[in-house]
Amino acid sequence: MSWTIDEWFVVALARTIRPRETVFHGFGSPCAQVAMHVARRTHAPEMLLVEGAMYAVNPDPPFIPPTSNDASLSRGAAYSMRFEEFFDAAVRGDVDRMFLSGGQIDGFGNTNVTAIGPAGRPKVKLGGGGGGCNLSATIGHLTVWTTRHRSGRTLVGACDFITDLGHRTPQGSRAELGYTGGGPQWLVTELGVFDFPADRARLVQIFPDVSVAEVRAVTGFPLQVAGDLRVISPPSSAELAAVRSVDPLGVRRSEFSAGELARTFEPGHGQDCAC
Amino acid sequence: MSLQPPRDKRASLADVITLVSDDATVALGGGLSARLPMAMVRELVRQGRRGLHLIGSAHSIDVDLLVAVGAVRRCEESYVGFEQDLGLAPAYRRAAEEGTIEVAESCCATVLAQLRAAEMGLPFLPVRGVRGSDIRRLHPEYAEITCPFTGERLVAVPALRPAVALLHAPAGDRYGNLHLEQPYVLDERFAAASELVLATVDELVSTEEVVARGVTIPGHLVAAVAEAPFGAHPTSCYPRYAYDRDHLREYVSAAQSGPDGLEKYLATYVSGSEQSYQAAVGADRMAALTTWSDSTAGWQELFR
Repeated sequence: MSWTIDEWFVVALARTIRPRETVFHGFGSPCAQVAMHVARRTHAPEMLLVEGAMYAVNPDPPFIPPTSNDASLSRGAAYSMRFEEFFDAAVRGDVDRMFLSGGQIDGFGNTNVTAIGPAGRPKVKLGGGGGGCNLSATIGHLTVWTTRHRSGRTLVGACDFITDLGHRTPQGSRAELGYTGGGPQWLVTELGVFDFPADRARLVQIFPDVSVAEVRAVTGFPLQVAGDLRVISPPSSAELAAVRSVDPLGVRRSEFSAGELARTFEPGHGQDCAC
Repeated sequence: MSLQPPRDKRASLADVITLVSDDATVALGGGLSARLPMAMVRELVRQGRRGLHLIGSAHSIDVDLLVAVGAVRRCEESYVGFEQDLGLAPAYRRAAEEGTIEVAESCCATVLAQLRAAEMGLPFLPVRGVRGSDIRRLHPEYAEITCPFTGERLVAVPALRPAVALLHAPAGDRYGNLHLEQPYVLDERFAAASELVLATVDELVSTEEVVARGVTIPGHLVAAVAEAPFGAHPTSCYPRYAYDRDHLREYVSAAQSGPDGLEKYLATYVSGSEQSYQAAVGADRMAALTTWSDSTAGWQELFR
């Protein structure tokens, strides 16, 4: 049995979901989307899964399409929320977790999906944040992710523009801003997993083919490393089977560069942390 | 405008779109790859509308095409793009980077609150997020208030009453009663908040039939309705057709390539009429998109 980085990455995202949580992903988020279904088919069968831009409650899609509001994503659901039903639930605090990504992510877990460079005249205009600007304020916990950590441009000292809220912005802490949600709990990248003790990202797990020095070299904020840094547990056969059956079209792979997709792993290979 | 009394509201697509004036604030129904009002968008291009202020949640080819032809002054969506699959919106991105449109990027929940304020005849509603985010800086019209009951500091967002909402439905009747399938996105809110609601339907049916399927948006909110088969293409309009990923890819590629590529796309698909649009896409391709319900395997193949 061997597996690839996209499969292991999705499993790492899935493990951030706790058994009975209500969980949501935004559009354009194939890895998070697949991860939610993997969690529901493995360790979290009692979760309440709200499917992206369909707002379908616990669907069983026959496949994950490359767009987030196709009717295939609501197959098997008894009910799809209206847009406003979902947003009401989220702002009143009834949604436990959301997955968020960004073109830039800082050490507090703030994300930028709006623009690289000055907002008035951006160097690169990104697509925009969807509902994240409000949702990140009130949803219980956030799992932040990126598959572009190695680019050196994604984990930055400060975001050019803060679209979605982490633990603190230049205007204050979550408490000072009146936010009821807990903010980023995990940051998962293609190099490792961070938690947020004292509101700042700290590397706690690492993929076995990556060194701490490599992570430090591409991280724009000062890298904190947990004393008990560990290699990410390999995917179980059940987790791998779930990834492959949930996502037969492989839409999760669209988030990775070709170079990353070449990373393959086998049991026992290189899993003693070389760092 | 008061509620629309029952009458035969059928009109041609061209006549419907003459009701949209230059510089209007226009709400676009649907979202991402689902039920965008593309026939009306193409007709806006044909009629050469200018200076539009577009309102919406997460959008793609509708906004990008209107920006590409120079019809847009201001964009107030939460997202414009083609997701991870086809990436950034080429014309929107270029116009934002060159400063030829105003980008008042918003948030889905904020737009929702603003529409609800308009529906309720209120000047504003508060939201709990936005403070501390740079989205706040893009909107000098927002204000901060202190809740008179709890003392919380909240962001007040003003009522948003679009001049026109453009909605596409799979079916409707001559009185403007519309049946939609999920995702409704913001269509119901646009219908109630906007001054004028214009609709296209893939199929005009009897009132009995639209009632049997379920009226999602009632005729008393709708001013005019035009029959426009495949009026959401290249986006989906279930239960009739899935989205046309190949066509979206062709559009993105054309828009990325610059003025010549865009001109060629417009000449091939947009400049003529909806009939010539459908002919250019091809009857076989259109028919294939309606086969999604035949088998799961076949449905899945539409996305490869």
